[in-house]
Amino acid sequence: MRDYIKGLLGGIWSLLTGMKVTFREYFTPKITEQYPENRATLKMNERFCGELTMPHDENGNNRCIACGLCQMACPNGTIRITSETVTDPETGKPKKRLVKYEYDLGSCMFCHLCVNACPHHAIEFSTDFEHAVFTRSKLVKTLNKQQS
Amino acid sequence: MFDFGIITGWIHTQLTSVMSEQLAIFLECVIVGILLLLVYVIVAIIMIYMERKVCAAFQCRLGPTRVGPWGSLQVFCDVFKMLTKEIITVRHSDKFLYNLAPFIVILASVMAFACIPMSRGLEILDFNVGVFFFMAASSIGIVGILLAGWSSNSKFSLIGAMRSGAQMISYELSVGLSILTIVVLTDTMQFSEIVMRQEDGWFIFKGHIPAVISFIIYLIAANAEVNRGPFDLPEAESELTAGYHTEYSGMHFGLFYVAEFVNLFIVSSIAATIFLGGWMPLHIPGLDGFNAVMDWIPGFVWYFAKAFFVVWLLMWIKWTFPRLRIDQILTLEWKYLVPIGLANLLLMVIVVVFKLHF
Amino acid sequence: MRTTSNIDMENKLDIKEKIAAMEPSAVWSDAGDGMFRVPVSSFRPLAEKLKNEEGFDFLRSLTGMDWGEEGLGCVYHLENTATGENVVISTADADRDNARVPSVHDLWKGANFNEREAYDFFGIKFVGHPDLRRLFLRDDWQGHPLRKDYDMALNPLNMENEGNEDEAPSYEMTPDGGYILRRHPLFEDQEYVINIGPQHPATHGVLRFRVSLEGETIKKIDVHSGYIHRGIEKLCESLTYPQTLALTDRLDYLGAMQNRHALCACIEKAMGLEVSDRIKCIRTIMDELQRIDSHLLFIACLSQDMGALEVFFLGFRDREKVLDILEQTTGGRLIQTYNTIGGVQADIHPDFMKKTKEFIRYMRPKMREYQEIFTDNVIVRKRLTGTGILSREDAISFGATGGSGRASGWACDVRKRHPYAMYDKVDFEEITFAAGDCFDRYMVRVKEIEQSLNIIEQLIDNIPEGEWQMKVKPVIKLPAGSWYTAVEGSRGEFGVFIESRGDKFPYRVKFRSTGLPLVSCIDTISRNAKIADLIAIGGTLDYVVPDIDR
Repeated sequence: MRDYIKGLLGGIWSLLTGMKVTFREYFTPKITEQYPENRATLKMNERFCGELTMPHDENGNNRCIACGLCQMACPNGTIRITSETVTDPETGKPKKRLVKYEYDLGSCMFCHLCVNACPHHAIEFSTDFEHAVFTRSKLVKTLNKQQS
Repeated sequence: MFDFGIITGWIHTQLTSVMSEQLAIFLECVIVGILLLLVYVIVAIIMIYMERKVCAAFQCRLGPTRVGPWGSLQVFCDVFKMLTKEIITVRHSDKFLYNLAPFIVILASVMAFACIPMSRGLEILDFNVGVFFFMAASSIGIVGILLAGWSSNSKFSLIGAMRSGAQMISYELSVGLSILTIVVLTDTMQFSEIVMRQEDGWFIFKGHIPAVISFIIYLIAANAEVNRGPFDLPEAESELTAGYHTEYSGMHFGLFYVAEFVNLFIVSSIAATIFLGGWMPLHIPGLDGFNAVMDWIPGFVWYFAKAFFVVWLLMWIKWTFPRLRIDQILTLEWKYLVPIGLANLLLMVIVVVFKLHF
Repeated sequence: MRTTSNIDMENKLDIKEKIAAMEPSAVWSDAGDGMFRVPVSSFRPLAEKLKNEEGFDFLRSLTGMDWGEEGLGCVYHLENTATGENVVISTADADRDNARVPSVHDLWKGANFNEREAYDFFGIKFVGHPDLRRLFLRDDWQGHPLRKDYDMALNPLNMENEGNEDEAPSYEMTPDGGYILRRHPLFEDQEYVINIGPQHPATHGVLRFRVSLEGETIKKIDVHSGYIHRGIEKLCESLTYPQTLALTDRLDYLGAMQNRHALCACIEKAMGLEVSDRIKCIRTIMDELQRIDSHLLFIACLSQDMGALEVFFLGFRDREKVLDILEQTTGGRLIQTYNTIGGVQADIHPDFMKKTKEFIRYMRPKMREYQEIFTDNVIVRKRLTGTGILSREDAISFGATGGSGRASGWACDVRKRHPYAMYDKVDFEEITFAAGDCFDRYMVRVKEIEQSLNIIEQLIDNIPEGEWQMKVKPVIKLPAGSWYTAVEGSRGEFGVFIESRGDKFPYRVKFRSTGLPLVSCIDTISRNAKIADLIAIGGTLDYVVPDIDR
């Protein structure tokens, strides 16, 4: 009988302590992220891997030498490089030149191997995360700017 | 306190002056029925919105914010979405019972809803054994749930329905005992009369210790009656996916859903009616100015405020506690609530016999 | 530390001699970690002796192997939990079409599922195994995909529904060297069998239990897994070593750091590369942050399974803070791709130390909140105490490591048994309980969060200077041999077994799943429990389905 009453009171007490916690939480500030309303203030960490990009300088040039190391390093075949061989006008030696750098966001695992493999830091991950598109073909992106 | 009986009486006299009495009563019944369903739906919508907002607040969230200001139109959108959904029938299910079950549940709920006095003169079903009628009407819902579980031809549904049967029939007892405790205090079973007796003080104050105990027992048992957490075993989503209504879709599911929420409101308003004075304003003896101000607030505002306060209390409980196990639920009922309820009833009888109440 | 490793060495020599004496046909090969090769005919007696006489009661890992000409076989990693001795034994049957290895499921219960896996992938028939169905693949699958001679074209995309295999096959030897196939029904006709999963809120992913019920009481559970099997081990065989790293984060996604740590450590061990103290320290902190993350999710999901949604959100709110710290340094929240061979992907973020210390200050009082709302709650106590009891013997026999093993009183923490990274330099307590019920399993995790906070606190101000990435050749080739490295993952021993033939691709990679032993013991511990208990048991065992399926 004593155990019965003790168990009963102890149980009620533990329930009340629990309710105290929820009551406190009822009035604590809420943590909901109001995306997309907070788009303007939403800042991703600078190391966040959104998608692969190829930075271009103000003249529209990139640092890619079409060596193909990133393509080799990729475990998924996400990167496809098309290159052509041109003759360097200064030295007169044949030289590889990048024609098209295709990147399939749909199969990228964000494993960093391509970025690590690149000897010239020609590619990097951007923090853009809004990737939703309607067809898979739109996920295949050409990273280098076509020189017209 | 304004008496709505004046308005209803006036309408009745106007109607009988132009038509026969039978026809007038028939017409009134239709109008009252429509109004009842209207209020039922409005209450359901408010309840669903409240549930979402209150549970969000407990969980450090904001709840719906997109549709309408503060997400207030969310529920309408949900209802609309549900109406557009296909009603799926499971193969080898008992078609007739399967389609009937949600209506039994909603019927029981509407009947119980009609018993509640919302304000002075706003009683729909009000007669001398109102308490009995309420308990009988609300129990019909179990049949609907059992039928739903049985007829769906699904093992999850069947287990859910069996749990629900065991649980609701058991807890009916505690609900009855705690209401009986108050009936002992009031010596009436008519809801409007119960409210009138609380003019000079709510029963939870007048009946002091036994009333408070029976209030707590009522809250626990009523929570179990309407299958809400921590007693939501019949539809325990992490065990039985959705329990007895696993196989229902579209508006059939919607009826279960609405009935669940309105049932919560009904048991809360019964708690408000028999323990917290129904539509009676709060009076503090000695403070005449305060009492006069309280009298200015209309009765139905008092009633809804109290009912929703109890609803909020039950939501607080639901969103705090984990679910019990089936054997623990029965242990709680048969080893704790029923003995305590019986002892409490005895205590109340002693209190009443020796006039120890206020 | 150095002294203990010397003792390890001596013990190893000791057991080497013992085995050589026990079984003259056993051949010691030194490549890599070193292992005994035993002919298949004398394997079973040796295994029995090791288990019963030498006390090797813990089967750390069972790896099916295809050695080409040498045949199909298995590698057994055994440990003596009393002395900490380790021994590796392998056996192979040269008859590729009809490879037979005696089953050891009766010596180590954990072998049951592992042998089914080996049968599934290599077609090795385990003689004496009571239930040799496929574990991961469909029953109508053609061929055994991890064999080197497997033809990919055998299994075109199958759009048919999968049938239910209701009979368990077993193979029995006949004296003339043949075998008899026997079939036993899994369930009787009268049994009320209910499917929990693969799409069920409480199985935490696509795992399926076929549960035989009597009322609400569970009579038997048949586990079906493989719904999310991606063949990562097979994939690894065609990837270079750095490329294999990308897949480990996708195993146990709540132990991404530790999984990758294990693989990196294994490759580094094979390369003979010692990483700097800074790397070790960063890896240790990251592992512990990941552990806190995982354990918070454990509390959250357990409470959600039990119907207390409040705690679910509290857990997720606090877990967000860990993820923010991790994301700032690694750039990922779930898939972090942080450890690399010989280092880490990037140095820690300048704000890392500040934020981590802030988090420790934030987290300590929060633990009190969990206690008030969940741990002390009478409903929680009543539901968890005394349900799903896993005895210490069973825990060892099944190989149920991690929090689940420690709750049963088995001190199985890899951080203490085989210290790696900085764990021998920090002071922390290995949490063990005795009862082995759901409540103890829950409490182990709660206490471990505190211990992890302690470890981080000790290290965070003392991260040594140094390089965060050692110089590694661009093309990594491992010498021929096989290596096994284990770390303490979020939910148990996560081991990596690599067999190399000197190429830049691994010959075979095996991940010792932390979840598979946990799931394999669920039938034993949930008998005669209620459905609601099964949910609690599943929640407290804390398995992650992609880790079971790999």
